Amino acid sequence: MGRLAAADREDRLLLIGLPILIGVVLIGWIIWRAVADLDDIEARLLTPASVLELTWQHLVIVAVCTVIVVGTAVPMGILLTRGPTRKLSPPIMGLANAGQAAPVIGVIVLLALLLGFGFWVAVLSLTIYAFLPVLANTITGLKGVDRSLVEAARGMGMSDMQVLFRIELPMAVPVILTGVRTALVLLAGAGAFAAFIDAGGLGELIQTGIVMFRYSVLVSGAILVALLALAVEWVGRLVEVYTKPKGLS
Amino acid sequence: MIRFIDERWADILFRSYQHGSLVIQSLILATLIGVGIAVLVTTYRGLSPAANAISAVGLTIPSFALLGLLLPFTGIGVVPSVIAVTFYAVLPILRNAVVGLQSVDGGIIESARGQGMNAMTIFWRVRLPLAWPVIMTGIRVSAQMSMGVAAIAAYVLGPGLGPYIFTGLSTVGGANALNYAVVGTVGIIVVALLLDALLVLFARLTTSKGIRA
Repeated sequence: MGRLAAADREDRLLLIGLPILIGVVLIGWIIWRAVADLDDIEARLLTPASVLELTWQHLVIVAVCTVIVVGTAVPMGILLTRGPTRKLSPPIMGLANAGQAAPVIGVIVLLALLLGFGFWVAVLSLTIYAFLPVLANTITGLKGVDRSLVEAARGMGMSDMQVLFRIELPMAVPVILTGVRTALVLLAGAGAFAAFIDAGGLGELIQTGIVMFRYSVLVSGAILVALLALAVEWVGRLVEVYTKPKGLS
Repeated sequence: MIRFIDERWADILFRSYQHGSLVIQSLILATLIGVGIAVLVTTYRGLSPAANAISAVGLTIPSFALLGLLLPFTGIGVVPSVIAVTFYAVLPILRNAVVGLQSVDGGIIESARGQGMNAMTIFWRVRLPLAWPVIMTGIRVSAQMSMGVAAIAAYVLGPGLGPYIFTGLSTVGGANALNYAVVGTVGIIVVALLLDALLVLFARLTTSKGIRA
């Protein structure tokens, strides 16, 4: 509880409020699903088994993308803040910012037309999409570390590696994690587009609902995707509050 | 590709204009709403963590899900597009407006009051001009985001360049599928960059001379 008390009011409101909101809406949806009068198509699309299956697919897409993004963007951010590659960081950041203007749905459709439909193309396009916030925040976080601290660590005889792992990274962790959380939430939402290229996920409910004019299916899909994104946001904030190095506040 | 663009030049231009105009109109609406709420929130200070929390939750809601939730109420077409784009555009503007208005030095407001200005005059002549650069940054973030939301809104028959992307998707294998998707996507990037340049210019022109960097 000590950590929670130390968090700022916005974080505290969200950490306590989000699970309540998610729980209430989810229970409400389950009750609705149990008592609602559904026609054949609706009932078939909304069986617990198929909803769970779609949720699972959605989570797998998000998880795979997250692992790839964090595994590539953080090391790249580290590389771009030291040594000879440092000069590359402004042009890459500029390019990354311009790239953010690209609509994610356009990227998914383009790649699918070029490479074919399916799971891995969905993962590839979503990875590209989520890469930028993590890279940008890694670079910002590392650059934000006070140079005099690095000097002091060097003066104490630390090697470059030790400075990186014992000073720079711990100091930059809050900013990097904010980037990861942003990316994860984007992924949870954009994962809904995977359904457009036959990669499954909860987007399928929204899409089928629109195509077949079944608002109950459409709204169920929308609610579940939104709940998933909110749950991801909550986990992200929790991790942020609890992994903040004790000395920082 | 060149032939494709050549044949549809007028349509592409018109759609780009539609896309930009949808985003700009929603941005104007969003600025009024965002700054309005920010004024409320900064007047009653206890509200500001709640406003920040709500805007964080709002940004979490996926745009495709929001469109899905709107459809039963609005039907398909332009209305859900405008509501969805405006909804997302409000959030960064609200956040930045709160920060901007809160960071106006209390001493400055004090001296404005000392010169006999009332709350209204202080807001229009002192607080808003000083907070404006921060608000403009929020508007630029909103503009970028809105471009993408507007593209997704095409799935519910919204206007603009988005339908090109979905035409490309639904005619997969056809001769022009890739052309449609490329023109739709690149078109949106071009419109987004143009709008951003316009906003930078607009920010320069509307920022009070005294605080221009």
